[in-house]
Amino acid sequence: MTNAPQILVVEDESQIRRFVRAALEGEGCRVAEAASCRQGLLEAGARRTDLVVLDLALPDGDGVAFVRDFRAWSSAPVLVLSARSTEHDKIGVLDAGADDYLTKPFSVGELLARVRALLRRGRGDADLASACVAFGDVEVDFARRQVSRRGEPVRLTPIEYRLLGVLVANAGKVMTHRQLLREVWGPAASESSHYLRVYVGHLRHKLEDDPTRPRHVLTETGVGYRFQL
Amino acid sequence: MLACALAAGLALPFHAVIDLSATVMLFLLTVVVVAVLAGRGPAVLASLCNVALFDFLFVPPRFSFAVSHAQHLATFAVMLAVSLIVGQLTAGLRRQAQDAERRELATRALYDLARTLAGAAAVAQVGAAVAAFLRGQWGGRSGLLLPDADGGLAAPGPAEAALDPADLASAREARDGGRPVVRVVAEGWRCHCLPLSGTLRGVLCVRLPEAVGEAGPLLEAVASLVGTAVERLHFVELAQAARLEAESERLRSSILSALSHDVRTPLTALYGMADALAVGATMLPAPARETAIAIRGQALRVNEMVDKLLDMARLQAGRLALRREWQPVEEVVGASLNLLGAALDGHPLRVEGIAELPLLEFDAVLMERVFCNLFENAAKYSPPGATIRLAGAAAADVVELRVCSGGDGFPPDKLRRVFELFERGSTETAVPGMGVGLAICRSIVEAHGGTIRAFNLPDGGGCVAFTLPRGCPPPIESEAPAAGDDMEGP
Repeated sequence: MTNAPQILVVEDESQIRRFVRAALEGEGCRVAEAASCRQGLLEAGARRTDLVVLDLALPDGDGVAFVRDFRAWSSAPVLVLSARSTEHDKIGVLDAGADDYLTKPFSVGELLARVRALLRRGRGDADLASACVAFGDVEVDFARRQVSRRGEPVRLTPIEYRLLGVLVANAGKVMTHRQLLREVWGPAASESSHYLRVYVGHLRHKLEDDPTRPRHVLTETGVGYRFQL
Repeated sequence: MLACALAAGLALPFHAVIDLSATVMLFLLTVVVVAVLAGRGPAVLASLCNVALFDFLFVPPRFSFAVSHAQHLATFAVMLAVSLIVGQLTAGLRRQAQDAERRELATRALYDLARTLAGAAAVAQVGAAVAAFLRGQWGGRSGLLLPDADGGLAAPGPAEAALDPADLASAREARDGGRPVVRVVAEGWRCHCLPLSGTLRGVLCVRLPEAVGEAGPLLEAVASLVGTAVERLHFVELAQAARLEAESERLRSSILSALSHDVRTPLTALYGMADALAVGATMLPAPARETAIAIRGQALRVNEMVDKLLDMARLQAGRLALRREWQPVEEVVGASLNLLGAALDGHPLRVEGIAELPLLEFDAVLMERVFCNLFENAAKYSPPGATIRLAGAAAADVVELRVCSGGDGFPPDKLRRVFELFERGSTETAVPGMGVGLAICRSIVEAHGGTIRAFNLPDGGGCVAFTLPRGCPPPIESEAPAAGDDMEGP
């Protein structure tokens, strides 16, 4: 199985490592384990790694340092495991270059769904950002700059369209408020996050079936947004 | 007088040798010497004596006050005038020199005081330094008064016996009037009370013997030094308190997050392993599978309780740092519903007026806890299938949000107490819970400057309503419609 994705699990609790490994191997992945930041970086450098599952609280340093080092030479996706009420740390590790996070405790199903989505991204399904994307009953044709819902054209303002474009291009990945503001409004706008929230609200009202219970533009409270196809 | 006699005695043997004008000079010198040594009064006396002695002993006819020549009268007059003037000038110079010396001593003492005060590490040291200074300068006594917690005045540290109630009254008068108050107190003492400069509004009270002359300017200088020193100590104290608080806050939050991590790690393993058994690739026999699912459910419940207890600990431990941002309520409602997931299954949700609310400034993570707890309670305490209603309404300066559900509602006698910690609607029920959820809601809402209340609907069912202040939302510039760059469909 040379095509099987190689996954590195960096987690200091052996019992968590054990069931994560079992779940990933059940999916046909090859799994390497590391119990510390340093060991993780060595393992990641020793072989081609397609994805890293990283615990945020490691005994010999925080995940932010790991991601920063790892990002220096690899663009493989990083999925962070973190406790609740550590929004600040989550933002830090996402801004450093991690792709997604999972709040402890998590189910095997959630873990596998996130891993699959990230591996798809990692393989570079290039059509994501190029031609047509469909989610729910919405179709976006980026080539012709057209958005339609249930076959009816949807009118988006330039900012809404740009925001949708960034979200779709990063589907399956958590985008922090800062990252989205920078991508859509430019580097100067990183302080006025209420704009972002208002425009996300507009998008939901135009594209979601029930804007109060969105299914595609999801809120990661205190952190940012995740677009889900 | 003695000096005059001495001068006369000195000149007498030589009166044949030296002439009268030289004798006059000798007498003038005497006056100068007297003025330097003894001051103004003795100099005047010496002048008069000299003239008399000169007349009696030297001017012919000798040994008589009679004058033979009219020109001698002129000599007497000039001699008297010159000795008086020279005596006055000399005495004046002497006094100035003495004054300068005294001033220099006072200045040096003041300088020493300033140096001591600059190094003082406590208010008691300031008081002691001032007391020593006043004792050294005038033999006076002093008491330093600073405002106490009730807005009155009190001596800091061990109260000095220098002040009695009358002084305290003067001190209050000085503080309220903002200028020095001087009052004569018992047997030869006078009490000066000087308000201290600065924000603290303390008073320096000094008792001086009546014999001490004008002391105002020096006392004011002392008061201003004391004011500066006390002010400095006050701010040092404030800075220390702030640092201490920040440190204990940091410690508390690091303990809480360590606790959170330590408790959650085994729970994560437990939940994950049970989940792997329940849904894993190898199918377990039905009873084992059910057990695995039950273990998973129980682990999740323990986790929820840990979450709530940690939330409560965090909310109750010291000041809550809110990360307030302007945002739509709809978004945080959506996030809570997403988070609750299956917990609301079987309860249809009706949402009214949420999308129309203005932006509000709140901490999204905490507000998500409020909505989660309210929705969870609404689902838990209402019969299966009952609709949960969320409604929002904007009033003049607050926005009210209410979550209502069917069922029995709250016991009418407990409508207030449900927000207290570990208080449950009905103590013995099959519904799991700790009575923490609504207490968390109250802490969070109140931290945002809002209010929360519970009530029952007339047609059955309980409601929890809370308000958030509207404040002044930042403006949102509406975007110019797309012109050439048309996004409209074909």
